[in-house]
Amino acid sequence: MKKLIIAGFAIATLGLTSCSEDDDMPIEQLATCTDGIQNGNETGVDCGGACAPCDGGDNGAVPQDEDLSGLLSEDFTLTNDIIWELNGKFVVGEGATLTIEPGTIIKGQEGTGSLASALIVARGGRIMAEGTAEEPIIFTSINDNIDLGEKQGSNLDENDRGLWGGVLILGNAPSSFEGDSEESQIEGIPADDEFGRFGGNDADDDSGVFKYVSIRHGGALIGSGNEINGLTLGGVGAGTVIDHVEVVGNVDDGIEWFGGTVNTSNLVVFAGGDDGLDIDMAYSGTITNALAIQGAESDHALEIDGPEGTLEGAFTIQDLSIIGDANAPSGAIADLRDGAMGAFNNVYVRGFNDIQNVEIDDSASAANYTDGSLSFSAWEIVLPEGVTSVSSIFEDTTGSTDFSNDATNFATAIEQDQETVGADLSVFGWTYASFRGAF
Amino acid sequence: MKTQFSVVLFFCLFISLAQAQTGKISGSIFDVEANDVMPFANVSLKGTNTGTTSDFEGDYSLTVEPGTYTVVFSFVGYETVEVTEVLVKKGEVTSLNVEMKSSAGALDEVIITTTTARDTEASVLNMQRNAVNLSDGLSSQSFDKIGAGEVSSAVKTIPGVSVQGGKYVYVRGLGDRYTKSILNGMDVPGLDPDRNTLQMDIFPTNILDNVMVVKSLTADSPADFTGGMVNIITKDFPSREEYSVSLGATYNPSMHFNSDFLQYEGGNTDFLGFDDGTRDRPVNRSQSFPRPFDNDAALTRITERFNPTLGGTRKRNNMDFSLGFTAGNQYDVGKKNNKLGYFASLSYKNTSEYFEDFENNSWLKPRETSEFELRPARLLSGDVGKENALLSGLTGLAFKTKQSKYQLNLLHIQNGESTAGNFQEEVLVSDAIKVFRDNLEYTQRSITNALLSGKHTNKDASWTTEWKISPSLSRVYDKDVRITAFEYNPGNNTYSIRPSSSESPTRIWRNLEEVNLAGKVDLTKRHQLFGRNASLKFGGGYTYKQRDFTIDQYQILIQGSISQNFEGDPNQVLAPGNIWTPENQAGSYINGFYEPANTYDAYNTNGSAYVSEEFNLTENLKAILGLRLEKFDLFYTGQNNLGDLILEDEHLIDKTDLFPSANFIYSLNSDSNLRLSYSRSTARPSFKEASIAQIYDPLTNRTFIGNIDLQPTYVDNIDARYELYGGDAQLFAVSAFYKKFTDPIELSVYSDFSADNFQPRNVNDATVIGAEIEVRKNFGFITEGLKKLSANLNVSVIDSRVEMDRSPSGEFESRQRNLRPGEEFDGTRQLQGQSPFLINAGLDYTDPERGWQAGIFYNTQGKTLELVGLGTVPDVYTMPFHSLNFNLNKSFGEEKNSTISLKISNILGDDIESKFQSFGAEDQIFSLRTPGTPISLSYSYKF
Repeated sequence: MKKLIIAGFAIATLGLTSCSEDDDMPIEQLATCTDGIQNGNETGVDCGGACAPCDGGDNGAVPQDEDLSGLLSEDFTLTNDIIWELNGKFVVGEGATLTIEPGTIIKGQEGTGSLASALIVARGGRIMAEGTAEEPIIFTSINDNIDLGEKQGSNLDENDRGLWGGVLILGNAPSSFEGDSEESQIEGIPADDEFGRFGGNDADDDSGVFKYVSIRHGGALIGSGNEINGLTLGGVGAGTVIDHVEVVGNVDDGIEWFGGTVNTSNLVVFAGGDDGLDIDMAYSGTITNALAIQGAESDHALEIDGPEGTLEGAFTIQDLSIIGDANAPSGAIADLRDGAMGAFNNVYVRGFNDIQNVEIDDSASAANYTDGSLSFSAWEIVLPEGVTSVSSIFEDTTGSTDFSNDATNFATAIEQDQETVGADLSVFGWTYASFRGAF
Repeated sequence: MKTQFSVVLFFCLFISLAQAQTGKISGSIFDVEANDVMPFANVSLKGTNTGTTSDFEGDYSLTVEPGTYTVVFSFVGYETVEVTEVLVKKGEVTSLNVEMKSSAGALDEVIITTTTARDTEASVLNMQRNAVNLSDGLSSQSFDKIGAGEVSSAVKTIPGVSVQGGKYVYVRGLGDRYTKSILNGMDVPGLDPDRNTLQMDIFPTNILDNVMVVKSLTADSPADFTGGMVNIITKDFPSREEYSVSLGATYNPSMHFNSDFLQYEGGNTDFLGFDDGTRDRPVNRSQSFPRPFDNDAALTRITERFNPTLGGTRKRNNMDFSLGFTAGNQYDVGKKNNKLGYFASLSYKNTSEYFEDFENNSWLKPRETSEFELRPARLLSGDVGKENALLSGLTGLAFKTKQSKYQLNLLHIQNGESTAGNFQEEVLVSDAIKVFRDNLEYTQRSITNALLSGKHTNKDASWTTEWKISPSLSRVYDKDVRITAFEYNPGNNTYSIRPSSSESPTRIWRNLEEVNLAGKVDLTKRHQLFGRNASLKFGGGYTYKQRDFTIDQYQILIQGSISQNFEGDPNQVLAPGNIWTPENQAGSYINGFYEPANTYDAYNTNGSAYVSEEFNLTENLKAILGLRLEKFDLFYTGQNNLGDLILEDEHLIDKTDLFPSANFIYSLNSDSNLRLSYSRSTARPSFKEASIAQIYDPLTNRTFIGNIDLQPTYVDNIDARYELYGGDAQLFAVSAFYKKFTDPIELSVYSDFSADNFQPRNVNDATVIGAEIEVRKNFGFITEGLKKLSANLNVSVIDSRVEMDRSPSGEFESRQRNLRPGEEFDGTRQLQGQSPFLINAGLDYTDPERGWQAGIFYNTQGKTLELVGLGTVPDVYTMPFHSLNFNLNKSFGEEKNSTISLKISNILGDDIESKFQSFGAEDQIFSLRTPGTPISLSYSYKF
């Protein structure tokens, strides 16, 4: 007999189609000029800022903003009659000079990674940014409602951080690099972007003048997991003038020196998200008259690292005031690491708590302390509550020096406002920190 | 995002009017001289009128009454073969394969009394013996023998083959760049954008017919392989009705039923290998994000759309299990005895892995070159839990007439892997912080492939035409990778999120889609040359590959100093009360930007044409001479970081190359051959490599930088081999090979000052010299009783040299500057990814009558340069992994239809380890994983 065999076989092939191309997630509607709430950059309910003026009057012809991006290969001037916008990275290339008139406002666009806005003065490029106390040059965020002729906007404060990138000046001066290479790549810029190189042989390298400049609300993630500093000085040479510079509310460090020889003076760092003044790679210039004001998110006021390679170099810090934030979770006064080398003279410290100290963190720094290449003189400290001796403020975690005991020789406990050392605060009247009453 | 879930059902309904009273004899006839199938030979039953002829592929079948027969195979000019004692049972198929030789004048009769199935090891060895090019094969029978459930573990037993990370095949210790994997002879896209080739762990062995590794090039194969080409051949159709089910379970004492296992809540379809939409990107790519100072409630709504789970949970896991089902049948259709066959397979595997005390570190050489011991820069350790689901389906439909065959294969592989990691990390150089990190990842991969092929001959089978068209689509989605890091503040014992030192919590979506269209035509003409059989082969092909790659990345930012309140718990970051609202003015919120520099879109085309002639120069000397032409073009669309370089369909590579090849085989006698071959081959940059992409990976903290100046590598290959074949699949072979690489591509540290930036580069020329020994021997020479016990050993020793880059700040300069006293330096080093030796060894006991099979296999490779160090970054070597595996199979039942298998892997309990090595210094761990010793038990039943 014939047998009927029925073989029925089903196989399920899972075809999964995902609509990655036609993005159909609904867009969340943002604030408008008719939502009955004062939001966005409005100055009243549904008026001001991007909306109609609140008084119903005429704001006058608003000058057109101008975009800055890409590589600048010839001389260019930013005038103070319009607001300039940094759109992504704007690079002053080799041989080019960027002149910025006093009173100029430059606003950085939002964005992270490759889109982070930043002004980068590459090696061989120059910046001539000469503001004045009356007409400082201001770098801020596109979200800042500051207008031409103003020194500050009204919608942001020092706790609005990371809204744009920052300013980087890179030069040809000697710096001490890992593996003793002569040049290096500044953090956060992919290694194949040549404009990120810094370091070289020219100790007197001249990157121009950077004077009366306030940098606010920056520190966006620039790439490779790196938030950008307010002002990054990479291998900047002694021919450069860096004077009267303020960094406010930056996610990463206020000012960071990566090697170089440039002398810097009259500096204010205010309410940063990381360290105040940060020194690496054997920076060998002098910092004169500086003020570091800590915020709730700040890390060390001073973050000092030694050379990365075998090239050595020591900095000098002269006339420094540090105002702490006793509520900040970390926020120590100073951290000295990796064979730190330099001198701290005339330093006034107040406002810290009992665990925020000055710390020697490794044996190489301790050895430098012992042989005098890391030195301290004329410190005055307003002791935190519960602290009875300046010795408690100075700690050598390696236990190999008498740092703590020695403190009584170079540091004095004083009452607030009794200081005889520290920064001359009278020159900082032009700053945003002064406007905010931070000192 | 809407996800469509479509289920495609294939119903194959066959009605067969089988003669239950009869049986069948079927098999293939092989022409030994031509090393090819024997078409249109006569097959008859001695003493009857029953007979047939073989088809153009040498296959035949005869329907007969049950009984015992003598089967006669004959063809003009060939020795007649008679096989006696062929037993045919009612309703069953007796398999009978024979080899025929040309009679060369004499009319001797050869009587063969053994029967062999087509996919036995012996027949693979036969193909190997007669193939003019150098190849090694693995049949589905040997998959069972070594207890391998997937190709990656199976191919390891082939001489000179090693598998990296359980996925990527290296042949002769050369990196996967120089190994090509093809599916049924056609290109299919890889699943990993970082790799040139396809990963092997996605192919279950039950859908495979055999795997061939070709080590010397002939003109009819693609020119872009150098070490070897792995051809994965899926099952065709069986000679009889056959079904099978199998189920298996694996228990790993160090991983399973562990209450510390780490995982996180996914979607409802995770167990099927795909995400049900739970992890879809919750915002539109063009969404703009307000900031807290905008005082806009939309920011709260946007943030709330993101899944708040950022940390894994510890819970007991289960052990691995697998299921498989196959079905197949063959039917005679119509009066002309045409054949229709199908094969279908569905397999499912669910695995759980738990790596406790996983490590991933970074160490540096001391600054002072007078010092030796390495210093730690970053130390990361922690636990990783992985759950993996793999579902694959294959259907094949074939129709065969005397002169033509048509085949349609459809394959879909679906794989989903969910990973949760909990790490602590200490940063010691250029910062001094302690970070607690939680990573959640999900990767969904799939390949869908269709293959339509045809083969045709003319009446006397002197012409054969073969064509193949194969479209495929492969997709890899990294869906909602979540990275959360807390910095530990030892001063007051608190944890906080500090973007400047340990990053903001990050969410990432990465999509890769690759479309691949391949087609080819091969024509073969059998003819006579120098009075002997010869065949001329020519043809051409065209391949189009297109890839899209995008990344969407978002950060979780925190307004106000509230991150300490989370107490280090990642799941607090987006917990309802901790999200920023216009009312509370403090909390977490989402911010993100679509970065064009992170994405690319590229395609390439490769057109080829070739001609080759296989012929006998003398009775003992056979040769294949061939010439292949390939025109390769690569087009790229993307932009760089600065946005000042935007490429639109930029023609990056335009190469037309000739690839000559010559293969000779000289038969010293009937059992031994001497082979010599030369070929030129190429290795081309991948889409990601030949790009201007600058891609930062927050999981590894590395930036990959594409290189649009990258050029293909060209390789000259010379191979020599002596081989001696014994009976019963015994073999002894010695080979030597030499390869010269012009412009080899390596992934290099960008320069000594950016040790975390990597770029593929054409480095200086390199050479590879190697030797291989292969022995397969049974112990029948001691006593006949030991014939069932056999040993298999193969050893490859390879020396590779590459000249270091001597440009400023290049490898040569940087290494020289960082030499330690007494350290030798000649400006050359081992080629990246090239192992200096490979060893495979095994003992096997097979007793088919009693249904016993047992084996013990060992495999290792020498320490291999994994990352090329530069400056104070030391070299990283993959350390030898001593893999010792045991398996035992027992078949039951009259027909041996049931099989139980036991397998114990990594009996030595070795660790998977990579180490930093520097002259005069103690080795330090780069990465460490402990795979444990898994024990598997499986059962399969055929009916």
